[in-house]
Amino acid sequence: MSTNPLLNITALSQSFGGLKALDSVTMAISPGEIVSLIGPNGAGKTTLFNVLTGVYKGTSGQIRFQERPIRGLAPHQIVPLGMARTFQNIRLFTNMTALENAMVGRHTQSKNDLLWSLLRNKTFYRQETEIEIEAKKCLATVGILTSANLIARNLSYGDQRRLEIARALATKPKLLILDEPSAGMNPRESQKLMELIRHLKNQGLTILLIEHHMRLVMGISDRIIVLDHGVKIAEGTPQEVAHNTKVIEAYLGKNAAH
Amino acid sequence: MFIEQLFNGLVLGSIYSLIALGYTLVYGILMMINFAHSEVLMVGAFVGLAAYTLLAPPAGGWVALVLVLLVAMTASGLLGIVIEKLAYRPLRQAARLAPLISAIGVSIILSNAVFLWVSNQLLSFPKVVPEQSISLGFMKIGSLQILIFFTSLILMAVLHFMVQKTKMGKAMRACADDLTTSGLMGIDVNKVIAFTFLIGGALAGAAGVLNGMYYGSIKYNLGFLPGVKAFTAAVLGGIGNIAGAVLGGFLLGILEVMAAGYLPNGSQWKDVFAFVVLIGVLLIRPSGILGERIAEKI
Amino acid sequence: MNFFNSQLSTLNPQLPKWLPLGLLLAVLLIFPIIIEGTSYAYLSRMAGLVGLYALLALGLNFTLGYVGLFDLGYIAFYAIGAYTAAILSINGYSFLASTFAAIVVSVFVRLLVGVTILRLRGDYLAIVTMGFGEITRIVFNNWDSLTNGPKGLPSVGESIRPVKILGMTLVTNTHYYYLIAASVILTILVSQRLENSRLGRAWVAIREDEVAAELTGLAVARLKLGAFVISAVFAGLAGSIFAHWERFVTPESFVFWESILLISMIVTGGMGSIRGVILGAVLLGGVPQLLQAALVGSRFIDYRYFFFGLVLVLAVLFRPQGLWPSKRRQVEILETEYVN
Repeated sequence: MSTNPLLNITALSQSFGGLKALDSVTMAISPGEIVSLIGPNGAGKTTLFNVLTGVYKGTSGQIRFQERPIRGLAPHQIVPLGMARTFQNIRLFTNMTALENAMVGRHTQSKNDLLWSLLRNKTFYRQETEIEIEAKKCLATVGILTSANLIARNLSYGDQRRLEIARALATKPKLLILDEPSAGMNPRESQKLMELIRHLKNQGLTILLIEHHMRLVMGISDRIIVLDHGVKIAEGTPQEVAHNTKVIEAYLGKNAAH
Repeated sequence: MFIEQLFNGLVLGSIYSLIALGYTLVYGILMMINFAHSEVLMVGAFVGLAAYTLLAPPAGGWVALVLVLLVAMTASGLLGIVIEKLAYRPLRQAARLAPLISAIGVSIILSNAVFLWVSNQLLSFPKVVPEQSISLGFMKIGSLQILIFFTSLILMAVLHFMVQKTKMGKAMRACADDLTTSGLMGIDVNKVIAFTFLIGGALAGAAGVLNGMYYGSIKYNLGFLPGVKAFTAAVLGGIGNIAGAVLGGFLLGILEVMAAGYLPNGSQWKDVFAFVVLIGVLLIRPSGILGERIAEKI
Repeated sequence: MNFFNSQLSTLNPQLPKWLPLGLLLAVLLIFPIIIEGTSYAYLSRMAGLVGLYALLALGLNFTLGYVGLFDLGYIAFYAIGAYTAAILSINGYSFLASTFAAIVVSVFVRLLVGVTILRLRGDYLAIVTMGFGEITRIVFNNWDSLTNGPKGLPSVGESIRPVKILGMTLVTNTHYYYLIAASVILTILVSQRLENSRLGRAWVAIREDEVAAELTGLAVARLKLGAFVISAVFAGLAGSIFAHWERFVTPESFVFWESILLISMIVTGGMGSIRGVILGAVLLGGVPQLLQAALVGSRFIDYRYFFFGLVLVLAVLFRPQGLWPSKRRQVEILETEYVN
């Protein structure tokens, strides 16, 4: 098994005007890991996700994904390399069916078909069938296949979160980035989500997630990275991080740590 | 000559600014193009004419002007509220283009209602206050132009005061910042929106009267052109931004007058010139001159 | 796995679904022949005009309907198509040649415009496209040496020749009705095939959430440009047909109001819904003309635009999603097949 990290971030910074949202963050993620990114509100977690996925370009530093530098690439150039994400506030294609949402996820995995779609030749049908089957598989993986024909906005909240994951899975990612996947879920739903994340790991996926739900974080993470004010303040196994003074300070204030 | 042209541009621009303010106020809060705004202006002009016919002989001169403006502004303001309540409010949660179509429908209804039940002719609009030419030594200007220019400035000053200093103004700014949160914070959003339409409508009513005086005539379809120009001005300045609407209005007025005066065949090409400038500005500053680029939160 | 390769599953029953549509098509196909020579013959011309609106609305549907680009200047490309075709026809080129040129020129100008302005968003895009539409009209209005200005083409002593196609010369309104009907059917086919494809899904995804689309790997800028350019094909085609049918073009036909009308057709019918857009074209393009014809000499004729406005408002208030929105495609689900 290769020990090369899947994702390698070196001294990554992102400023907005005078504000340093990320300040020289360095971290690495190995294949097959589940890594959680935690930290107080405004710590820069989502900003980090946004730089990773190309929404922001980053001010300085380096991001290597499978050895390949990707900082500054456009999102649609990064996705086909094998990185897919979900969003803090659910962002689905709300008037399309669940299946269509997942089928859009197959976009990078299929070929330009303007001419084929007009001619409706064999290649077109072959590709369409493949897109549909793969999309259905992704829906099945997250457990919402029976809702395939429902319009996305009519799905339950938990299912909408699952659909976002399914859409991301459809892009065939190596690294799956989840932004607060359990936000707004009831305990039973987040329990099922935890099982899903474990299942995805067993399928060989590497997972990076932002999560506030501590039981979930402690339960599934191989490693936890803590950000505060754009700086990485701690990193380690759930046990190590839970007892780290800096982390307790960041969350509860200076006095609580002593 | 040049200074006279410049002043002419400022006068025309002040009318554009008044109208543009109505677009920008509504846009700032609801993110919708109030397409019917131009017809509110037209109705204001007709109401102003009616008020003049009824009131001018007894009142006369400056008093008549103030009365005509007030009546037109009240009527247009109320019309704005009614339109919002009937045609836009039910669509506030709908897809973005639905209110636009509703607004287009309202605009067709208004201009045709005037066409059917008021007049389908070009009516001459009185100057209200007797006109004279004033010489300032280096330039000659008409009293009408001075009147239009300063009336507009006064109205803008009143608006500025209202938005910056009153409680309702504060609520408007809060709603423009974040409508949903303002609602959660206990601001009566419907009231604020209605008030915004009242103010925008009133400004359009005043602009309708001034526009009528400027060109000396009105017609049921007169709203469209100044409406499009003023909307262009609002976008040029940065739509949603009050100072931007004023700046855009003056800029467009000056550009138009200068293009008509100095370009070969200028009056034919002045609109092209205005749009080319608009496109050029937006390509360099995609949110207009004073508009802020709103980064979407992800 | 082979089982799935053989089919694209649908849930819709196969029974006489085609029947109402088939009947409608049959009526649309034969009515001009029946009414020819009667006092109702003007209906063929009217139907032809509605067909042109449908053609244009379906073209604009690619950008406004599928991708949600707020395009207020589409009519400019209709104008470019019409003027290109008119100028070539006056200079002796055949219908096919001038139509081809009309499409190429529309597409080319659209490409240039799109590359420049598509980075603008929402209402900024709207105002810039509107500006472009007006610029185009004013240029056609003022460029006397090429377009004969407000008097229109052809100038005195010249003429646009009627369409000659497959050995026939099209003369009557009925002839042009069939030409337009064929074009509309072609456009529907193209729309359907693109809509139900990877490309069509990507367009709708951009309309639904541009950010999510980009982060799902869609090259949003290129996809937008593609839809923008494809829509010009139909504007160019419609423009050429219009020029050859009327044998006369003036800037008057390409005012801003026409762009507004097309947008209204799409939104009241249902954005991105082919059947809805056609319904919108029939309602907003056809009914006012029909009323005009029916009310000639009556004092109610002046009321038609008033009611047009009223209908527009009521339609959108009661059906903000459109009168006949598209149904999303439904598929068959065999649960057991995908569990892994």
